[in-house]
Amino acid sequence: MKTASSSTISNPWVGILPAILLMAGFFAMPIAYTIGLSFSSDANQGFTLDNYRTFFSEDRLFDALLRTQILGLSVVAISSLIAFPLAYYLAFVLTPAWRTVCLFILVAPFWTSFTIRAFSWQLVLSDTGVIASFASMLTGLNISLGFLYTMAAAIFGLSLFGVMLITLMIYSVMITIDRRLIEANTVLGGNWWSAFREVILPLSLPGWTIGAVLTFIIAVGDYAVPALLGGGFKPVLAQVMLSVLKGTYDLPIAATFASILVILILAACTPLLLVVRSVRMQG
Amino acid sequence: MAITALPRRLLGLLFMTVVAIIYLPIVVMAIFSFSSSRFQTLPFRVGTVEWYVRVFTDGQYSEGFLNSILLASAVAVTATAIGFACAYSLVNSRIPGKTLITLFVLAPLAVPLLLVGISLRLYFAELGIQPSLWLVWIGQVLYVLPLAVLNLRNRIAQIPKSHEEASWALGASQLRAIGDVVLPACRFALLATFILTFTFAFDEFVIAYFLTNFSITLPIKIWTTLVTGFDPTINALGTIVFLFSMTLGIAAQALFMRKDVR
Repeated sequence: MKTASSSTISNPWVGILPAILLMAGFFAMPIAYTIGLSFSSDANQGFTLDNYRTFFSEDRLFDALLRTQILGLSVVAISSLIAFPLAYYLAFVLTPAWRTVCLFILVAPFWTSFTIRAFSWQLVLSDTGVIASFASMLTGLNISLGFLYTMAAAIFGLSLFGVMLITLMIYSVMITIDRRLIEANTVLGGNWWSAFREVILPLSLPGWTIGAVLTFIIAVGDYAVPALLGGGFKPVLAQVMLSVLKGTYDLPIAATFASILVILILAACTPLLLVVRSVRMQG
Repeated sequence: MAITALPRRLLGLLFMTVVAIIYLPIVVMAIFSFSSSRFQTLPFRVGTVEWYVRVFTDGQYSEGFLNSILLASAVAVTATAIGFACAYSLVNSRIPGKTLITLFVLAPLAVPLLLVGISLRLYFAELGIQPSLWLVWIGQVLYVLPLAVLNLRNRIAQIPKSHEEASWALGASQLRAIGDVVLPACRFALLATFILTFTFAFDEFVIAYFLTNFSITLPIKIWTTLVTGFDPTINALGTIVFLFSMTLGIAAQALFMRKDVR
């Protein structure tokens, strides 16, 4: 039984089982069922690829998939460009006290829902919104931005979230970098840029990968921001999926969208697994 | 650190610009919430609390608020309890496939809520179970459980093993040792996890939208108001929800950073 010398508990499964059963019964099973459903149709008994044929032959649906991917990749690219200097600033320029304050300031607004934040951007960006009104008042012209309800607006809205998330992830790795490595670089005649390129950038890549993958997943799966900022004329996968559920209620087709989303996510997760493996091999 | 003044200032400027952009729409929404104009445009006509009064007198908002509070509390209690049991057992065991089990429990983090929502909807439809808040409860526990496990695992791993072993040596059962040693040692982390999971569940929209038909949570009410034509009450409600969630979030953040007394 339990002895003072062993540092493990005698029956770990009691504690782990509830979580596993929950995940198996209500996460793995439903997704497996959904993927199965995508290979069936009302007209056809048994296994069929009809839904996938429909998906890839209808421009409207295929375009939505392409748009979703462009959205996800753009959000990750833009967010990363801003997140690297921000994380560097937090980890290497600020004093520890200011670091805490600035992290709070950066993260705090994201505790509230996507829906409310997306809606609040409508107030600022719409053609009668704050920016357009200000510009009109200053110039005396009737300026309309034409920005709201475009793909660019959806990318913008999701990038704000991406900047926060990727900055946090890069920061959490950057803060653990041994400062002596950077000093060594300086002693050897390097400047801050070579320190960034040779030491900080390579060591921050695991944090960046996690942040980028999570941001991509959230961007391609989000519904609120594309609907409220991107508008309905050029829908992404999530919007088409919902319109099917609300409209024709063709469940196998909806399941097909979901399965394609699963494939997209699995593809995005590949770099994540590589990072997990390399980190485990190092430590 | 050989960083010169110029890049230092540029980085500071970048940080301030990003923060200004993030806060801009929320400040605008808060100002509009006091505007008597029905139109969401300049100039502001500031000086009314009408929309705030309406938030508290409209039965649908208060019903949604109550539903959301109850639901989020149930989700947070469940996720914190299951999460603690799982995190504690994972930290204190050497079972085969531990990494795989951890990845499995954390998997919902890597899946959009949309997918969780739609697959549960299709699955429950197949099983013949009607949409209800009970299903949202299950769905949202899935969504926040990984966060609970991650946060608690980190904290539990920091507890010196010797304390628990001492309590075992003194004849305490494993359960007793958990109650006497482990729980007190991570009480702030537990509270933070509760608040964190509560906040996520309180604001969660997609799963609730898919798994209910007639029950209204606050995010669903906000969404339907937004898409069925604009109502300035949303500005007031959005400001309230924003302050509420942000306060909880900051509290959780502060609790996580606090070192528990050992």
